[in-house]
Amino acid sequence: MSRPDDFSDTDLSAWLDGELDADAGHRIEAWLHEHPEVAARTRLWAADRDALRARLDPVLDEPVPLVLQHTAQRVAPPTRWAQAAVAAGLLVAGGLIGAAATWQWQGQQVLAAQTAAQAGTPAGWVQRAALAHSVYVPEPRHAVEVKAQEEHLARWLTRRIDIPVKLFDLRDEGFELVGGRLLPDAAGKSAQLMYESTDAGAPKQRVTVYLRKPDANAPTAFRYQQQGELGLFYWVEAGAGYALVGALPKERLLALAQAIYKQQPAPMPASAAAR
Amino acid sequence: MSAPPAFRQQLLAAIPRLRRYARSLVFDGHAADDLVQSVLERALAHWRQFDPRRDIVLWLLSIAHNAHLDGLRRDRRLDVLPPERISEAMDAAQPPGTDIGLRLDLLAALERLPHDQRSALLLVLVEQLSYAEAAEVLQVPAGTVMSRVSRARVVMRAWLDGSAPASSPARSAARPDLRRVV
Repeated sequence: MSRPDDFSDTDLSAWLDGELDADAGHRIEAWLHEHPEVAARTRLWAADRDALRARLDPVLDEPVPLVLQHTAQRVAPPTRWAQAAVAAGLLVAGGLIGAAATWQWQGQQVLAAQTAAQAGTPAGWVQRAALAHSVYVPEPRHAVEVKAQEEHLARWLTRRIDIPVKLFDLRDEGFELVGGRLLPDAAGKSAQLMYESTDAGAPKQRVTVYLRKPDANAPTAFRYQQQGELGLFYWVEAGAGYALVGALPKERLLALAQAIYKQQPAPMPASAAAR
Repeated sequence: MSAPPAFRQQLLAAIPRLRRYARSLVFDGHAADDLVQSVLERALAHWRQFDPRRDIVLWLLSIAHNAHLDGLRRDRRLDVLPPERISEAMDAAQPPGTDIGLRLDLLAALERLPHDQRSALLLVLVEQLSYAEAAEVLQVPAGTVMSRVSRARVVMRAWLDGSAPASSPARSAARPDLRRVV
């Protein structure tokens, strides 16, 4: 067996994992220097560790399956008790008003939102704007596809979504552009611009601007919607649909929406804005 | 009341790490995502038990650990891919241009480890948790994590070197000559 001043595999393993204090670490390093065979073995352990990471880390960059995204965002499935209550309620209400569809419990509201999203109604694209916000805002590394510093961002998005994309300057409101990305939309493509708060003393806040070519006859009114902690301002103007999404107080979000509204570009001259 | 949006967003952000851990536990991509799905469902059903001052990833990993153990108890086969399907599963997950030979060996060795050693090894090496954090996830003392990680390393390396029989993991782990410091 090992001599008393030798280090065990457990010690070496803990050292490799950074679990030992600096003092013990130095002693092990010095000892390994005199025991090259053991040092070679710990290097193999380190190589195994690196190989394992290299093999498994790519999972982090895989797109998250939609079913998992939906599970995380959907309201909890009703308990058996709630289902029974709904069933009982339907039996009674069914006789009275004959309209099962009017019976709303949480799951159905989400279903309705999803149906609306598929139908391409204003509620649908606003819903997609909120979803895109929730998906990308928490991303520390891959929040945007193209960073703000790259000059072609506006040109690229303009070409892709067929409406003029302007990189709104929200610095007066305390937000700086992070970048943007292209997203799938019901009938085509949409764009998302992400902004981050610049107030160094407070936790970083992110807001997103969702841009799309509006459907024909889309209502143009300036509207507000609250979804949990997320607030949404959305409007259609000059051939473009805008949705500003953020977990901010309504007044703060309104100030940002107004800043965007004032900066929004003129409509495209050609057929792009006509449809 | 269902889970608040802030909780859901944290959940959403944690999915990639959950998927990585699940993949390393059950290898098969679909089975791994099924595990993640059940973790998300459990988390949403018990969101009130989560202390927001804690790291949500640790909480979710411990749910994953328990869900995986439950699955093992329910169906021992969940954990073990039949040998003839290993290369198939590996090929499916293998990004092009990587050294398939080496990694096949590595994952085959990983899969052969006893479950308790494997999860300790993965939490520390791949999830990069401290021993204390891994101990919290696995609900064992930190010293146990330390010895499991060390044993797993030694045994796995011996298998990769071809210096230990692959058939009896428990016994090879306990063989004194493997633990001796030269």
